[in-house]
Amino acid sequence: MSLDRGSEAGPLASEESRRSFLGKFASVVFAGLVAPAVLGDTEPVRAGPAAQAEGLVPVVELPEPVEGEHPVQRMMEDLQRALQKPVEQRKWAMVIDLRKCTGCNGCNVACITENKLPPGVTYRPVMTETHGTYPNVARRFVPRPCMQCEDPPCVPVCPVHATWKRADGIVVIDYDQCIGCRYCITACPYSARSFDSGYFYGDFEGGERQPYELLPSPEYGENRTRADGGSPIGNARKCHFCLHRIERGELPACTLSCMGRATYFGDMNDPKSLVSELIGQPNVMRLKEDMGTDPKVFYLV
Amino acid sequence: MKPAEKILWVVAVVGFLIGLVGLVQRITGGHTVAAYNTYVPWGLWVAAYAMLIGVSVGAYLIVALAYGFRLKALQPLGRVALLTALSALAGGLLAIWLDLGHPARFFKLFFSTNVTSVMGVMAWLYVIYGVLLLVLIYLTQREVETGVVRTLSLLGLILVVIFGGAEGSLFGVVGAQALWESGLTPILFLVEGALSGAALVLFLAVLLGRLEADAGQLLRWLVLGLLLGLVVLEWAEFSTALYAGIPARSESLRVILFGPFWWVFWFVHVGLGLLIPLLLLIFAGRSRAGLATAGGLIALAAISTKLNLVIPALVVPEFEGLKTAFTGLGLTFDYFPTLTEWLLMVWVVSLAALIFLAGYRLLKPLASHGG
Ligand code: SF4
Repeated sequence: MSLDRGSEAGPLASEESRRSFLGKFASVVFAGLVAPAVLGDTEPVRAGPAAQAEGLVPVVELPEPVEGEHPVQRMMEDLQRALQKPVEQRKWAMVIDLRKCTGCNGCNVACITENKLPPGVTYRPVMTETHGTYPNVARRFVPRPCMQCEDPPCVPVCPVHATWKRADGIVVIDYDQCIGCRYCITACPYSARSFDSGYFYGDFEGGERQPYELLPSPEYGENRTRADGGSPIGNARKCHFCLHRIERGELPACTLSCMGRATYFGDMNDPKSLVSELIGQPNVMRLKEDMGTDPKVFYLV
Repeated sequence: MKPAEKILWVVAVVGFLIGLVGLVQRITGGHTVAAYNTYVPWGLWVAAYAMLIGVSVGAYLIVALAYGFRLKALQPLGRVALLTALSALAGGLLAIWLDLGHPARFFKLFFSTNVTSVMGVMAWLYVIYGVLLLVLIYLTQREVETGVVRTLSLLGLILVVIFGGAEGSLFGVVGAQALWESGLTPILFLVEGALSGAALVLFLAVLLGRLEADAGQLLRWLVLGLLLGLVVLEWAEFSTALYAGIPARSESLRVILFGPFWWVFWFVHVGLGLLIPLLLLIFAGRSRAGLATAGGLIALAAISTKLNLVIPALVVPEFEGLKTAFTGLGLTFDYFPTLTEWLLMVWVVSLAALIFLAGYRLLKPLASHGG
């Protein structure tokens, strides 16, 4: 199955409705960045006279536009459907297609930007794996968000009930309850929890905190600013699938920003969702399955 | 005051004053002054905490032998052992309190205890143990009927075995860290703790002039036995893990044996903490100087076993690719304690020493209970 072609071409599949759909979901910035390319509004890039004179092959056309239902559009529909169900009937999952990940780190940067992450805190590093030896070498890029385990080892070790798995499967942290003992960080087999030591980028670059570091983080809908020195400084922090976005009906920042269209998100309790369809493929694997954590991040290999 | 006691005071006060710099830095700089981070979330202070709690466990063993099992020879050491147990407990708890991301929230450990967390349960065990030590000090000072003291010290021994083992389980239950996750970890903690605590009591008893010949010989064989027991346990741990060759575990052991801080294992632990004391106890065990040196070295090197437990497990990445995935401040698998971390540890240990010395001055030697 091609990941870019929805198996059921829905009513939005036509060019016209895709335009109107994109107009609805995309933020101004996002739309400004990607809409021209997706909509085909961009003038094909043509090699200038200088390049032609040098004998370079002129680029006459962009790659073919996506046919059928756009995966982002489908995931948005899946999301809306899931949000209409009671929270305990949803089970959020992520699928990452390792064949499509280019290792651009766009998701990592989008996550940092979205959650206003400081130095020392990362929710979605992209790991590079090199296999084989020359001349038979292959590279693979493996983004590592929180696995949102069904049986998360980080939860039972917390001495003060500051972290738990929600009914929809997302593992969250109560920043006001967390005492910062970091036991949960040691207990995560995926290294998916960070410690916020209290660093600011500005402290190292000229000594002045930058305006972007003073912005509140939308995490958990709490809009905390770190500048006052309080939580989440001194806390454990982790990826929460952008819970604050999901609950507004938006896809996680990493999913939306993935330029390789390698990241998919949705409700795995919904058999019609794109993620359910992808998880049902035989080439699915999960990290450290032997740990018995039952992760809800799936990789396509 | 004996000259040795004076020296101990001077060392403790100097350590306290120098270490104060670390405390001030910790208070003003938060956790940015430390090298532990996202990938190596625990460091020197956690090792210091584990070491001091272990010392407390070992010192309590002497209390239980003296008062619970009524070993007459050890009774003159009761006061020293009780005070060592109490001050080491205080130091250990102080170290871990300062290590918390939010020290002011420590009360949550008692008001929202998660009983599925070893750490949550430990918080309560420490309180019970601390109260028990204070009650025992009070009772022995009041020269209360020895039956009560005996019962309490024996109950305390059960408690100490439970929490000394649980201290090891705190690490042992973490499946994510191959080096920690072992049924042997709690046992190792108990033996290491018993060894370091008994050795420290031996050292202090000689220095403070409270070691009679028979007590000296008893402690000599006790410490020697524990030392040999530890060698057996470590051999079992290292040889099976290296032979099995399960990557995450053997990688951590490789870090301990041949990593950048190989000398901590070979020189500090094996050399200073095992080999020299072993030789001293065997060949110079009749001289007080020999006993004191052996005890002092074991106690001094005790931090190395905890450092070698905490850090090598954490510096081995969960995924090789994480090392280079997204790096920078706070995102590194290299860990070496900062000067602030060392200074704060010196402060904590010096404060524990001052508590001990002050207690030793304030409490009277006991006629019926000895010491
Ligand atoms: S760091 Fe916070 S969330 Fe993690 S175990 Fe400690 S108290 Fe719980």
